[in-house]
Amino acid sequence: MSSNNQTTVIVRTVVRSVVPIIVLVAIGLLLQGHNFPGGGFIGGVLTVTAFALVYITYGAEYLSQNLLGISDGSVARRETQDVLDPDEAFFSGTVGRYSAVFGLGLALAAGGGLGAIAFGEPFLSQAVLYFDHIPVFGVIELASALIFDLGVYFVVVGSLLTILAVVGNE
Amino acid sequence: MSAIVAAPLLVALGGAIGCLLMRSRPRLLRGVSLLGGVGYLLATVALARAVFADSDAILVYYLSGWQAPYGITLVADRLSVIFIGLTAIVSLAALWVSVRTIDASGQRISYHALYQFMVVGITGSFLTADIFNLFVWFEVMLMASYVLVVFHSGPEQTRAGMQYVVLNLLGSAVMLLAIGGLYATTGTLNMADLARRLAEPAAYGIAPGPVLGLTGLLLCVFALKAGLVPFQFWVPGAYQAAPPPVTAMLAGVVKKVGVYAIIRLYFSVFAVATIPDSGGLSVVAGEPFLVVFGGVILVMALLSILLGGIGATGRNNLDELLAYSSISQVGFIVLPLAVAATTLPGDSLFRAGVLATIVYAIIHGFAKGVLFLVSGAIEDHVGTLEFSQLGGISEQAPVLSGAFFVGGLTLIGIPPLFGFFGKLLVFKVGVEAQNTIGWIAVGATLIGAILTITYVTRAWERAFWGPPNEFVEELTVSPSVVAVIAGLAIIIIALGIGFQPVYELANGATSAVIDTDAYVRAVLGPESAHAIGGGLR
Repeated sequence: MSSNNQTTVIVRTVVRSVVPIIVLVAIGLLLQGHNFPGGGFIGGVLTVTAFALVYITYGAEYLSQNLLGISDGSVARRETQDVLDPDEAFFSGTVGRYSAVFGLGLALAAGGGLGAIAFGEPFLSQAVLYFDHIPVFGVIELASALIFDLGVYFVVVGSLLTILAVVGNE
Repeated sequence: MSAIVAAPLLVALGGAIGCLLMRSRPRLLRGVSLLGGVGYLLATVALARAVFADSDAILVYYLSGWQAPYGITLVADRLSVIFIGLTAIVSLAALWVSVRTIDASGQRISYHALYQFMVVGITGSFLTADIFNLFVWFEVMLMASYVLVVFHSGPEQTRAGMQYVVLNLLGSAVMLLAIGGLYATTGTLNMADLARRLAEPAAYGIAPGPVLGLTGLLLCVFALKAGLVPFQFWVPGAYQAAPPPVTAMLAGVVKKVGVYAIIRLYFSVFAVATIPDSGGLSVVAGEPFLVVFGGVILVMALLSILLGGIGATGRNNLDELLAYSSISQVGFIVLPLAVAATTLPGDSLFRAGVLATIVYAIIHGFAKGVLFLVSGAIEDHVGTLEFSQLGGISEQAPVLSGAFFVGGLTLIGIPPLFGFFGKLLVFKVGVEAQNTIGWIAVGATLIGAILTITYVTRAWERAFWGPPNEFVEELTVSPSVVAVIAGLAIIIIALGIGFQPVYELANGATSAVIDTDAYVRAVLGPESAHAIGGGLR
């Protein structure tokens, strides 16, 4: 991002305090999603809005290099293009890393469904475990649907970040 | 209830996810993709054994244990298994050709995952027992095919791709609208439940008039997917733009999803409904829905046969010729349905019509698979498919040409090839009908058959005979690709010579279509009519 295009201090400060709240709400929605409003999809979308805010205010390099630790950003890729073949650059670059996330998410969601078959139940069957007498919380509910939701969450985060990175690079 | 019903679907899904995860390791990626293809074939064989073990088995699988009509249900009966079998064989052959011919970088980045997702969508469409899920699986299949059509991403591909995407998105929107309307009017999305409710609309408070209109709207969508005239615009462009193995899948299998949906919904589920006396439909009042659908299908089939056939004879490009031929052949596939619709499901003519459609659909799947794979192999090595640049391929690549010859002759319908029986059954239905529609069908079939002979002969004479020119002389196709294509051609010959088992399988599938009651009982339980219907009324 060029220097004459800097975002204002107000935006930077607000984003800094808002992003943790967004992520927290997103995780809350993800965890309660199997029987309350929320779920993997909406949690994922909300998480990506946090990323998008960082992306808009601090720039793509900050997001990928400082925040997510992907060393091979778009600048670095241009330098190494002579050495690496374009496919390698794609997979070690931002887009490649982001798109790997939705593969993992899909595997998690499908794996969660297949787990039910291992227990002799139909595909995608779910179960719930309750832990009583927990201090502070009282009852903690552990639902297998969370695995599926987590898979959906990663699919949404991965694919939206991929879109963001591809469209942002143009 | 056994998980075997979901096996092909889950294997294909596993293959797709595996391909997504293995993208950074190209050799492993190809291995996973091929393993997915082989696993799919094995899962299909296992499913077929389970379905055909019992003479009239309908295997039902309730996902996550939710009973129909509330949950998502998968049903494997003889009709779905036949189509899944076609998918398994053609997709494995096309996959091997893809591995050998698509450029390495393209295979790595997206090809295999997309290909597997397309197979997932096709399988889901064949297995689902619920019209909304049919929409979802259609979308899965189409989303993957959109990207595959524009895979080479040149200007021509982008243009054809735009046309394909826009038309199909429009189709999907209309489909969703029709399905939403059906849910509003009938109160259910489950196919078995729909059939049960439409059989006694008064008991469930359903007005059959709107249902007729909405199902008609839905029919347009399936005709679009099958590429019938007047919804055929996307076919030639998309088929030319897509990489050859994808074209083989689009023509061989994806079109059959539309045909399958027409058979399953209109000749099994909606077949029981009758048109009400009121509502301005006095001409056909009291007749079954089939009368209207039959008329519409008849017109579309006739136009497809004629326009596709005439279009194909005038083309100077092999791929384009095959694409137009595909439009014409889908006309042949659905024509017997139009004749069958003049009678009721109990009639022997109805059975003969549905049977002819199923057999012809399978034949066309194999034949177009072979033809498009051959044309793709030629394009990869010669660089063009214009007839002016081709010639003498039969001298240069005899086995490949032999496979094309078999595919072409089976389209024409020469005994003892598989295609002969398809044509025979289509003619037989027309003659047996002994009514005007039957004779119209026979006439159209005759004209269509002559057109088929014309364009196949033309393709053969222009591209394969004569002295090889300098482009063709460099044609050296990898032996494994030739072997796979020849294998498909041998299947066509084998199925023609050993037609009896195929006939029996298709006959079983036809029984599954006709016996809507058995389907309803299998999905909703033996006493479904009393147990669930009372509670929902």
